[in-house]
Amino acid sequence: MKKIVSIAYYTFIESIRNKVFYVLVFFGVTVVFASLLLAALGGEQPQRILLDVGLNALEFFALVTIGFSAVTLVLEEMESKTIYLIITRPVSRVTYLVGRYLGLLAAVYCGMFIMALMHVALLKLEGWQFVLRYPLAVLLSAEKIAVIGAVALFFSLFSTSAVSSISFTIFFWILGHFSEEISFLGSKVNTTLKIFLKIVYYLVPNLQFFNLRDFWEVPNITGSWMFISFGYGLIYGAFFLALALWVFASKEF
Amino acid sequence: MLSIELNNLTKAYVKKHLLTTRRTTGVESITLSIGKGEIFGLLGLNGAGKTTTIKLILGLLKPTTGYVKVSGFDVPSYEVLKKIGYLPEVPYFYKYLTADEILKFYGGLSEIGNINKKVSEILDFVGLESVRKKRLAEFSKGMLQRVAIAQSLLHSPDILIYDEPVSGLDPLAIQEMRGLITSLKALGKTLFLSSHLISEVEKVCDRVGILAKGKLVRTLEQKQWASNPGGLEKIFVDEVSGSSELGRIKIESNKTNLNNQIPD
Repeated sequence: MKKIVSIAYYTFIESIRNKVFYVLVFFGVTVVFASLLLAALGGEQPQRILLDVGLNALEFFALVTIGFSAVTLVLEEMESKTIYLIITRPVSRVTYLVGRYLGLLAAVYCGMFIMALMHVALLKLEGWQFVLRYPLAVLLSAEKIAVIGAVALFFSLFSTSAVSSISFTIFFWILGHFSEEISFLGSKVNTTLKIFLKIVYYLVPNLQFFNLRDFWEVPNITGSWMFISFGYGLIYGAFFLALALWVFASKEF
Repeated sequence: MLSIELNNLTKAYVKKHLLTTRRTTGVESITLSIGKGEIFGLLGLNGAGKTTTIKLILGLLKPTTGYVKVSGFDVPSYEVLKKIGYLPEVPYFYKYLTADEILKFYGGLSEIGNINKKVSEILDFVGLESVRKKRLAEFSKGMLQRVAIAQSLLHSPDILIYDEPVSGLDPLAIQEMRGLITSLKALGKTLFLSSHLISEVEKVCDRVGILAKGKLVRTLEQKQWASNPGGLEKIFVDEVSGSSELGRIKIESNKTNLNNQIPD
C-alpha cells in the first residue's frame, strides 16, 4: 500500500508539473468563462445554460486529459525506458500500474477542482444558488473519468499504439453514451446480431448513469441511486483496470 | 554460493505478421557462473546479445529455455530485485522531478529506511548535492549518469548490473567510473557489466565473457589476456571476426594515401 501511495504521489507531481497539463486546465477554464457568452444568449435561463455548458466543459477537458495521459502513461514509459528503473526494483507490476493510474487520476481531479471552482464563481456572479447536486454532478463526472481512464489504460497496453488506443477510447466513450439505444436495437434484430449487441451492451458501461446534469430537474435523487451509480462505476473501473493488469503482467521489456 | 548463475539460457523472439512467423535468437545456450565479489565483463559487438543477457538476469525478459538464479533465488523474484542495483546503458528518468525526489521515489520502492539521510549521503557521494533541487530535465548527460549511479547504489545492493557504464562519457567521467568500480570491488560487491570498451574492461574485470551472435564463445581470466601478446583486444577480435552482419570497411593498411581508397 505504501508503495502504491508513493508511486501515485510522484506520478501526481510529475503530471502537474507537465506543461501540457497546464495548457489543458487553461483551456478548460477558458471554455467555462466562454460559456458566459452563451449564457448571455440564453434568454430566460442564462444560469441553466451556464451550468450545463460549464459542467460539460469540465467533463470534456478532464476526459481529454485522462484519455491522452492514460494512453501515453505506460506506452511512453516503455518507449523511453523510464519503466526499467522501476520494475527492476522490488515492486510488483500491479503496484506500479495501480499507483500510476491513481496518481494520474489525482492530477486530473486537481484540474477538475480548479475548473469547478471557477465555474461556481461564475454561477454565483449570475445569481445562482448553490445546491448539493452540483458537487454530486461533479463527483459522478469524476467517476466517469476514472472508468474511461481505466479503459484507456487497457487499450494502450493491448494495442501498443497511441493513435489506435486513443481512437478506441473515444469510440468506447461514444458507445457508452448510446447504451440504451444499443439495448433497444438488440431487441429489434435477429438472434446472431442480438447476441452481439447484448455483449456490447453489458461490456460497455452506460455512461449516462454518470450524467446527473441530465436529471437536474428530477425532484428526488435518492441516496441509494447515488450509491448504485458509484458502485456501478467502481465495478466497471475495477474490471478494466484488472484487464489492463492482466495484459501488463505478461509484458516483456 | 554463486552470485549469478545462467544455465543453458536461450531467448528467442517470435514475431508473427499475417501468415508468416519470424524467429530471431537473442541469446543461445548461455551457461555462466559468477562468484561473489567478482567483476565480470561481457564483451560483444552490437547486437551480440549483451543487453538481452542483462535483461534476462533482471527479469525484464523471460527465457525461452534455461534459467537464471541470483544468490540462489530464481529470477524473477522480490528477493532478487532487492539484491540488485541496475545501471541502464542510457538512463531515463521522470524529467519533471528533481534529483532529490527521484532518489526518494526509488528509495521508497526499494524499502530503504531513513531515506532522507540515505539520499543526502548518496547525492554527496556522486557530487550532486548542490543540484539536488534541480529538475532532471535540466541535467546534462554526465549528471544524469551520476543520478543513475546513485539510484543503483542507494539500497546498498550486493550485486550490480551495469549495462555499458562508460558509454558516452568523457575521459574524466570514465576515470571516475573506473575508480567507482574498483571501490565497489573492494567492498565485496559483485559486478556484472557489459561494454564495448575493451581497454576499460581489461583494467577492471577479473573475468570476461565474449558473446558472438548470441552465443558465449569464450570466457577468460585476467591472467590469460594479460599474458597474451595482443592483449584482450586481439583475443576479442579473433573470436568475433565474421560474426558481424556488416562487411568490414575496406581500408588496406599498407597504403598510406587514404584518398586513393575512398570512393568518389
